[in-house]
Amino acid sequence: MERLPRGRHGLSPEFVAQNQCERLLAALTEILYERGYEETTVAMIGRRAGVSKSDFYKRYESKDACFIAAYNDAVERVREAVRTACAGGGNWAERALDALEALLVFVVEDPARARLVLVEGLRAGKGVYDRYQEALQSFVPYLRDGAPAPIDGPRPPEATDEAVVGGIASLLARRMLADGIEPIGDFLSEIGEFALTPYLGAAEARRIISER
Amino acid sequence: MSPLAHSARAKQFGGPARHELPREFVAFHKRRRIMDAIAELTAEQGYEATKIADIVRRAGVARKTLYDNFDGKEEVFLAAFDISVEEVMRRVEEVCAEFDGDWDERVEAGLGAFLSYVAEEPARARMCMVEAMSATPAATRRYEDAVQGFVELTGRNVPHSNQLPETIDETLVGGVAWIIHQKIRRHEVEKATELLPELAEFMLAPYRGVAEAEQGRIHA
Repeated sequence: MERLPRGRHGLSPEFVAQNQCERLLAALTEILYERGYEETTVAMIGRRAGVSKSDFYKRYESKDACFIAAYNDAVERVREAVRTACAGGGNWAERALDALEALLVFVVEDPARARLVLVEGLRAGKGVYDRYQEALQSFVPYLRDGAPAPIDGPRPPEATDEAVVGGIASLLARRMLADGIEPIGDFLSEIGEFALTPYLGAAEARRIISER
Repeated sequence: MSPLAHSARAKQFGGPARHELPREFVAFHKRRRIMDAIAELTAEQGYEATKIADIVRRAGVARKTLYDNFDGKEEVFLAAFDISVEEVMRRVEEVCAEFDGDWDERVEAGLGAFLSYVAEEPARARMCMVEAMSATPAATRRYEDAVQGFVELTGRNVPHSNQLPETIDETLVGGVAWIIHQKIRRHEVEKATELLPELAEFMLAPYRGVAEAEQGRIHA
């Protein structure tokens, strides 16, 4: 992790603070991934980040406070990755699949942050549950908004969108701790079908996915 | 007269309560009270904040009694967790056994039995589906094993085809668990049975297509 130059560097205090925070969050995330929450200490985080203990406590009140900040940061990155992937437009089904694909890519490319969001969200206690719940809720509009009216029968009930998102999140969490989710293409087909079926029916869901 | 009333009466008539009950019953009942106490306390204040002193006070037993039966807080928690999962599993399986032919009625009834248990036992539900995930690593593993148990139970009761995603049983159980988890967190789990129609539809829909296709083939 790149430290700032030593000595007088003419960088503003705000910049230094911001930079230290980023390094501390990245360090906590890495060490958490390597060793789990209990084994992660402020000393380790500081060393990895190249930040002194006293500077750590200037930025964060405690390990827990740093953890929550890291959690929020990771959630924001996931959301941003998904937003970017869906900016291309396309119909509802394409957008929903783009969102899921972006999520899977994130899991593969940033496993430490993915595990932080999806696994620690329910295991850590420490006030992150609300953020986990909000993060999952923020995926619901990708399913709910603009979903076509089904040809046969009523719209799926509200709980369905949340259950789809929750089911996928829990599957990802379990897989991340086991064999992983690659190849992404196959995994996307599975969860894509699961996500689209309540709205389009299984046959149509499968057709769209096979043509993607 | 119930054994408990018997003991209460014995106390009423002065002098130290003499346990006229069989020793095994008393021992079993004390274990039970200890496990009920940890369920209630972890639901109220979380696993970490719950101390042995809290548990024995709530259970109305001596510290020695707790340590005669359990190594410590974690073992009490895990025992209470295991018993609760056994109970709900048994209830679900009993209900499912009543629906011989119709897989969809079986799945819906089983889900209904699960939701009834959760609604009737909110403290147990919270202990098992919320607290267990963050209590200790062993508790988290128990939770994952319990989920796996329900995934396999589902798999045994639904029609299958290689057209369905391999992961379908897991994602459906995970989705249902998430809905219930949120209800528990919002202290709304007493109304869990109201979720049955929506959750049943969520669980049954993917398999219905398979079942219909099967029937079509049979009758073709």
